[in-house]
Amino acid sequence: MNIFIPLIVGVVTGYIFREKLKYNLDKPMSATLLFLIFFMGVEAGRVEIKAMSLFVTSIIFAFFTILGSLLFSLLLGGKLR
Amino acid sequence: MNFLYLVLISLFAGLLVGKYTSYEFGDLALLMLYLLIFIIGLEIGKSRGVKREIKKLGKIALILPLATIIGSLLGGAFASFLLRFPLKWGIAVSAGFGWYSLTGPLLAAFSPIYGVIGFLANLTREIFTIIFYPLVIKRVPKELAVSMGGATTMDSTLPVLVKFGGKEITIIAFIHGFILTAIAPFLISLIAQL
Repeated sequence: MNIFIPLIVGVVTGYIFREKLKYNLDKPMSATLLFLIFFMGVEAGRVEIKAMSLFVTSIIFAFFTILGSLLFSLLLGGKLR
Repeated sequence: MNFLYLVLISLFAGLLVGKYTSYEFGDLALLMLYLLIFIIGLEIGKSRGVKREIKKLGKIALILPLATIIGSLLGGAFASFLLRFPLKWGIAVSAGFGWYSLTGPLLAAFSPIYGVIGFLANLTREIFTIIFYPLVIKRVPKELAVSMGGATTMDSTLPVLVKFGGKEITIIAFIHGFILTAIAPFLISLIAQL
């Protein structure tokens, strides 16, 4: 649950300095995001996949879990919008 | 240049560096994640009307994680059927909701193969969310498309969702990821012990 610490520190800092923080945070956020994705890619690239079938199985599971989630979110959440 | 292309270039450059080099970056991924979460926190803190946003969310904050749970498990069951994969383990893999570092080790305690698939399938879910969320929101409402990321929407995929979906989806994405993160360990263990 370490993720709460930077989030809460950020929210509190942002709230305290909301009058002074006038500049747009979009660019630093984009740059950090690209670095994060790069380093996540490095970690994913380190995973050795020896059997092609394991890779295909994983892709099919990922695809259908995402598809199922999207369909049910539209089905259940669509009415509440 | 479209930001999505930069995301894809970063991802594939990282994959190549990880695959073909032995450079060690230590905990830089984690540091970047914390930095991003801090920046997102700054955005929330300085923006006005957050209370109004939370009130406006109402039922959707609970319905969306429920939809993700049902959809992921049924999607996993369908994938099991297609692949002739044992149904129980297919549903257990899907119950990770993208949390690969949890699902892999938990399932590896029962079988190394299910552990590897649990790890890879959930890692792939996270990568697919990063790549396809910006495209999916052209057709699906951006707050409902948050369900793609499963448990990862409170941390690793949150920056991508906020970047492409707008900062107004931060709270729903965080609550969604938080609920699924709380449920996944219990659900995987429960299914695996059936």
